[in-house]
Amino acid sequence: MLTLLTRIAYGAGEVVEEEPSGLDLVLPEINELIAGVIAFAIVFVVIWVWGRPAINRMLTARQDAITGQLTAAEATKHEAESLLMDYKQQLAKAREEANKIVEDARQSAEALRTDVVGKAEAEANQIVRKAREEAAGERERAAAAIRDEVAALSLELARRVVTESVDASAQKKLVDRYISELEELKA
Amino acid sequence: MPDDRIDGYAAAILEFAKAEGELARIGDELFRIARAFESSDELREALTDPRLPVERKKAVVDDLLGDKMSRLAISLVNFVVGLGKATDLPLIADRLAERAAAERNKVIAEVRSAAELDEKTIARLAKSLGKATGKDVEVKTVVDPSVIGGVVARVGDVVIDGTVRHRLEEIRDTLIRR
Repeated sequence: MLTLLTRIAYGAGEVVEEEPSGLDLVLPEINELIAGVIAFAIVFVVIWVWGRPAINRMLTARQDAITGQLTAAEATKHEAESLLMDYKQQLAKAREEANKIVEDARQSAEALRTDVVGKAEAEANQIVRKAREEAAGERERAAAAIRDEVAALSLELARRVVTESVDASAQKKLVDRYISELEELKA
Repeated sequence: MPDDRIDGYAAAILEFAKAEGELARIGDELFRIARAFESSDELREALTDPRLPVERKKAVVDDLLGDKMSRLAISLVNFVVGLGKATDLPLIADRLAERAAAERNKVIAEVRSAAELDEKTIARLAKSLGKATGKDVEVKTVVDPSVIGGVVARVGDVVIDGTVRHRLEEIRDTLIRR
């Protein structure tokens, strides 16, 4: 650029009717260059003054929109996470409840079983005990009946033997003993 | 028969026997007839059968007792039988014996034995029973083979049992009621 400007300065000092060569081939005429620079400056200023804020606004809006979208996405994500958490909790709760119900059912079934078995055992024991008692009672009764029968027979036999053996002298002895016992009774 | 009526009959017979001067004998004989009545099913059935006419009953009494008892005793038995009170004969005879004894300030001791007791034994029994009961007793003997051996005396409500039958019953009670 510096070289270019130097050239421009030199060029201005030199003969204008010179055959263009070298660098002058690519460079425009100086007037053209000045007009171009001024036009550029005007366009630059216009863009700088009116275009930049518009671009800035647009960028800001865009940024805001993106930020808002991000935030919304974040919120949605949070919501989804909390929902998921909720569902998980509910699921866990439901599972727990189900387990509890199953456990309860198992326990009550167990209790019922124990109860039924216990009752059946008690009843069986009762029946056995009753049967034993009845058998014992029956045996006792039979024994008592036999004992009574034997006693009655023995006594009948004894009575006959005694009746046979009580003669006059035995009678006298019995009566004498009765009288002496009467006297003792008084004493 | 109510108690007071038995008493009445006994009193009537007592007065009658006293009037005849035969109280001791009549009382004794009626007592023995009553025991015979108790121990002989035949006699009891004959005298209490309602289908049998009174004349037949009197004939039975004469047949069975005529040669053993005094006329007076037979008449009194026939008197009771004639009134249809034969069933109460033992009670009346007992009451009569009690009253006759009471006339002499004595109580009756009914003594049952398997065999007849001799006079000496009866006297000893009377003495010892009197001592045991604290009363002046008059012994009335009854022969009852079912006692087997020994003696049982009943003075009023008191029974003093020394018979073989009683012993056997005691043994039976011990053996059976355990």
